[in-house]
Amino acid sequence: MTQFENNCYYLSAHAACVLTTDFIGKLAPVLTADAMAAPFTVLDCFDQSLRRSGRLLLETGRSFELLRSDGRVLAQPAERRGQFIADFQEGPVKQALADISPLRSLLAIGSGDLRRAVLAFLDDDHKTYCRAYLHFLTGTDGTAVVLVTPQGLLGYDKALVALNLRIGACGGTALNIGQLYINLLPDRVAYAAKPDVILKTDDTAFDAATAIISAYIPVIRANEAGIIADHDTEFLHDYRVALRKIRSVLSLLKGVYPENQTADLKARFAALMVPTGRLRDIDVYLLQTPQYHDLLPKLFHGGLDTMFGMFAAERKAEKARLARHLRGKKYAQAITDLAGLFDARSMLGRGPNADLGAADYGPALIWKRYRKICGFAQRIGPETTDAEMHALRIHCKKLRYLMEFFGPLFPMPDFKSLIKPLKHLQENLGLVNDYSVQQASLQGFLRDGPEWATGVKLEVAQSVGALIAVLQRRQFEERGKIVESFAQFRNPQTQKAFRDLFHERRDKK
Amino acid sequence: MKIIACYSNKGGVGKTATAVNLAYALAASGKRTLLCDLDPQGAASFYFRVKPSKKLTEASFFEDIEKFTKAIRGSDYENLDILPANLTFRDFDILLSQLRDPRSRLKKALKAVKGDYDVILLDCPPNISTLSENVFRAADAIIVPVIPTTLSQRTFGQLVDFFHENELPIEKLHGFFCMVQGIKNLHCETMEAMNRAYQTCFMTAQIPFASDVERMGVHRAPVMATAPNSTASKAYQALHDEITRRVAD
Repeated sequence: MTQFENNCYYLSAHAACVLTTDFIGKLAPVLTADAMAAPFTVLDCFDQSLRRSGRLLLETGRSFELLRSDGRVLAQPAERRGQFIADFQEGPVKQALADISPLRSLLAIGSGDLRRAVLAFLDDDHKTYCRAYLHFLTGTDGTAVVLVTPQGLLGYDKALVALNLRIGACGGTALNIGQLYINLLPDRVAYAAKPDVILKTDDTAFDAATAIISAYIPVIRANEAGIIADHDTEFLHDYRVALRKIRSVLSLLKGVYPENQTADLKARFAALMVPTGRLRDIDVYLLQTPQYHDLLPKLFHGGLDTMFGMFAAERKAEKARLARHLRGKKYAQAITDLAGLFDARSMLGRGPNADLGAADYGPALIWKRYRKICGFAQRIGPETTDAEMHALRIHCKKLRYLMEFFGPLFPMPDFKSLIKPLKHLQENLGLVNDYSVQQASLQGFLRDGPEWATGVKLEVAQSVGALIAVLQRRQFEERGKIVESFAQFRNPQTQKAFRDLFHERRDKK
Repeated sequence: MKIIACYSNKGGVGKTATAVNLAYALAASGKRTLLCDLDPQGAASFYFRVKPSKKLTEASFFEDIEKFTKAIRGSDYENLDILPANLTFRDFDILLSQLRDPRSRLKKALKAVKGDYDVILLDCPPNISTLSENVFRAADAIIVPVIPTTLSQRTFGQLVDFFHENELPIEKLHGFFCMVQGIKNLHCETMEAMNRAYQTCFMTAQIPFASDVERMGVHRAPVMATAPNSTASKAYQALHDEITRRVAD
C-alpha cells in the first residue's frame, strides 16, 4: 500500500559502491546491511523449467525469492513440506509457480551467499523519500552480482525518478535471468528431454538416424541418477521416452543399418527398457490416486486406499530393484557400449537405405504413415475393438515420432499446425487406451491379487468393481470424441497440408 | 474499511501519541492504514517527519480530489500513509462525507491510486463543535484518551452528555486511561469511579505515564518503533488489540 516496487536492475559491485555513497540532490544515502551473509540455494526442476521460462528461485533460511525476467521480485516465507511446488505454503511465489509441472520436484542446482541491504535516501529531517533493496549474490563457483530493486514512497515520485536515473547512470541494466544463471552457476549444463537434433537438407538417412539416437542416449544417461535418488517420477518417464524414441528410429527408419546390426541394436535397447516397465506402471497407478478418489464416492475410498497401499509397498521394492540394476556393472557396460558405438560411428554399418537423402526418406515415411492412418479412420465405428484402437494409437505415435525426428527439415509454422490436430487425436486415443488398460489391469488385480482377510477382500472388490464400471463409462464417452478428432485430422485442409509438406514438396524437389 | 477517530475535547492528554502509535500498530499488523493529521498543530506529521504539503494550505483543495490523493505521503513504515492536513472546517466536513460514501469521487480516487485503505485513522483537533458531531457520525469508533484526574472526568462527562443530547450512538465511544500513574491515589480512585460510571465505555488497556512517550518528540518516530519492548509500547499494543476487537464486533 505505502510503497510500490519498481523493476529489478543488475549492477556491478563497483557501481553498487558508487550508488551507496553518493547523494541524490539533497537526499543522503543511508545503507543498512545484514550483519552476515546468508547461504542461499538455487532451486529448479531437473528439466530446468524455471530457467527456461526466465525465472530464478532462491531459497534462503527465511524466504523464497522468485526473480522474474520482467524484473519483478516476489517473496514469501520459506515454509514447505516437501520438494514439490504443491508443498509450499500459499503465497505469491507459489502462485507464480502454478505453471510448473506438479510432477516435477525442485532440486538444489546451486548455492552461494546472499547479503541483503536497504539503501534509503533521506532528507534533512531524516525522512525516507525512496529506497533501493540490494541483493549481493555470490555463487559458490560463480561471480558476484548485485541486484537493485528501487522502491518509491507515495507522494515522493520525483525522488524515485531520480533514483532510477542514478542507477542507470551507474551502469545498471535490466535484469537478465539467463545471464544471472551463467554468473551464479557457470558450470550448470542445460538439460532437454527433447534435445535439438540438427539435420541438414543434404544429410543421409544414416546421418539422421545416428544423429537422433546420439542425441537421445545422453538423455537416458542424464536421468539415471534421478531414478536412483527417486526425486520424482519424471526421471523414469523421460528415461523411457528417450529409449522409446531410439527404438522407434531403429524400427521406423528401416534399412539404415545392416539387418543384423539393427536387430542387435533393437534387442539391446529393448533390454534396457524391460526392467523399467513395472515401476512405471505402478507410478501411473499411484499418480492417479486423486483422480480415482474423485471418480468414486467416499464409501468406496477405503478399498481403494488398501489397493494403493499395496502398490506403494510394491513400488518401494521395485524402485530398489531398479536402482540396483542401474548401479550395476552389467548395466553400466551395456549403456557405455551403446553410447560409445554411436559416438564413434565407425562400428555402425550402412544398410541398403543408409545413403538415401533424409529430406526424401523422412517425408516419404511420414506421408505413408499419414495415409495409413486416414485409411484406418474411414473404417472406425462403434464396432471397432479395443485392440484395433490400440493399433491405431501406435500408428499415430509413430507418425508423431517421425514428424518430430524430421521436423528440423521443415518450416516450423507449417509443421506446428499439423502437430496440433495430431496431438489432440493422440490425447483422445491415449485416454481410451488408458481406460481400457486400467480396467484390464484392475480385473487382473482382483483375480490374481494378494490374499486378504474376507472383510478386506470384499471392501477392495467393491471399490475396484465400482471403479471398473466408472472407467468403462469414461472409455465409452471418450471413444465418442475420437470420430470427431479424426474428422479434423483428415479434413481436406489438413490432408492438403500433409500432402504439400511431405508429398508434393518431395515431388517438386 | 473502518474509520477510527482519535478525539479529545481536552488538550495535552496524549491524543496524538495514541494516534501515531495506533496507526503504526495497525500498519504493522498488515492493515493498509491512512493517518489523517487533522490537528492544526500538525504533531502527527511531525512525528513521522512528513513536511506539510504546500497544496494543503489552499483553502479549497477538497474540491479537487486529485489534490487530496497527491497530498498523501508514504511514511517510512510499510502499509502506513500520512495525510498531513490543516483543513478548513468545510474541507473536513467534505472529507468525512466522502470517506463514508463508497461511490464518492474520493473513494474512487483512493482505489485507483492505492487500492483502498483498511483503516483510516483521524487525529482530530481538540475542540467540540458542530464539526465534531460529523466526526462522531462518520466514524466507526471514537477513541478518547482520558487522564484519570477530576478535570478529565468532568470533560469526559461533557462528551457523554453531548452524545445523549444529540442522540449519537454512545457505544461508539471507547475511552481509555492515559498517562496513568498507579502510585497516585487520585488516579486509582478516578479510574475506579469512571469505570463504575461508564462501564463498557472504557477499555481495559491503559497507557502509563512514561518518559519513552515524551521522547517521541526527540526521536520523531512512534515509540513502538524506537522502543518496541518498552512498557509504553506494550501498552499501545494492548490498546491496538482491544480496539481492533471492539471495532470488528
